[in-house]
Amino acid sequence: MMTAVVLAAMLGGTWLAAVYRENGSQAVFLPDRVMTLFPAPKPLAAFAFTDQENRVFDLSRLKGKWSFLFFGYTHCPDICPTTLATLARARENIAKSAAGAKDVQFVFISVDPNRDTAGKLGQYVAYFDATFLGVTGGDAQLGNLAGQLGAVYQVEVKPGTENYPVYHTAAVFLVDPQARYRAVFAPPLDAEGISRRFEVLRQLEGRKAA
Amino acid sequence: MRWRHAVFAGLIPALTALAAATEDAGISVRDAWVRETPPGMAMTAGYMVLQNKTSRPQVLVAARSSGFQTITIHRSITKQGMTGMEHSPQVELLPHASLPFAPGGYHLMLLNPKRTLRAGDRVDIRLEFRGGLVLPVAFEVRK
Repeated sequence: MMTAVVLAAMLGGTWLAAVYRENGSQAVFLPDRVMTLFPAPKPLAAFAFTDQENRVFDLSRLKGKWSFLFFGYTHCPDICPTTLATLARARENIAKSAAGAKDVQFVFISVDPNRDTAGKLGQYVAYFDATFLGVTGGDAQLGNLAGQLGAVYQVEVKPGTENYPVYHTAAVFLVDPQARYRAVFAPPLDAEGISRRFEVLRQLEGRKAA
Repeated sequence: MRWRHAVFAGLIPALTALAAATEDAGISVRDAWVRETPPGMAMTAGYMVLQNKTSRPQVLVAARSSGFQTITIHRSITKQGMTGMEHSPQVELLPHASLPFAPGGYHLMLLNPKRTLRAGDRVDIRLEFRGGLVLPVAFEVRK
């Protein structure tokens, strides 16, 4: 009961209600416009990308950490920088929390490998936060992970021009330290909305594990 | 030299007249800002709130600046779960209404800046409306 009260105080407002039963160790999240938490975590299957330092970024890199994933492309003047700036602020909030941000990573997945080389991706993500990762891969691998997360994207490459349209899901996906798809944050995104929900979820998971 | 001064001297009243004309037209702009460009990126976006104080619709048809190769009016839209940008050749301001250009919606897409833009810099952009009205606006670069 005490826990429920503490949680309610932390969560505030009406955005999310968590009921925590001391004995059953079960958390129930009510519907929320910002974060959709899946009742059954979905284990992700193998995929293979390359990160901004040309290292392999595969399923094993999602294990042991909470991962926030966002699909986009660097030649994107509006949505992508807005989202990355929001995620950088969310990370700052999480880093200031008691549990810190050591077990959290943020991964920008470029759906435009044609223009987004490792070097460009590294420069781009580091501008928003020095800890951010930038990864990309071939169409089959991008389609693979996007499909597992329910994300969609479309790149209309036009030969001979550097400017072509790219469309992508603007949501942010949350994967847990067991590499299971846990939740999705729907736009419009705000940093506090994301960090507060994440901190509650991580705390509840910690209790379950304990 | 004398000739050059004369040109400048002529320019100042002309600009003043221009500003007065747009003021008369009753279109105002506030909170105009441009996003700082991440390193290596040749594009960014401009945002503002346009206000039409007149009783007639006003139509924004173009934006120009010597600081960029091209500026186009864009809008971020979501279709079938995907967000992308579409070109808006013109944007209509309803009478006595304001229209925000904000992240995730309408924005000026600024291509190939002539110099790297850093927070605190100023960018001058001319907004052109149907009927020939031109509104010079100072945009602040923000991170």
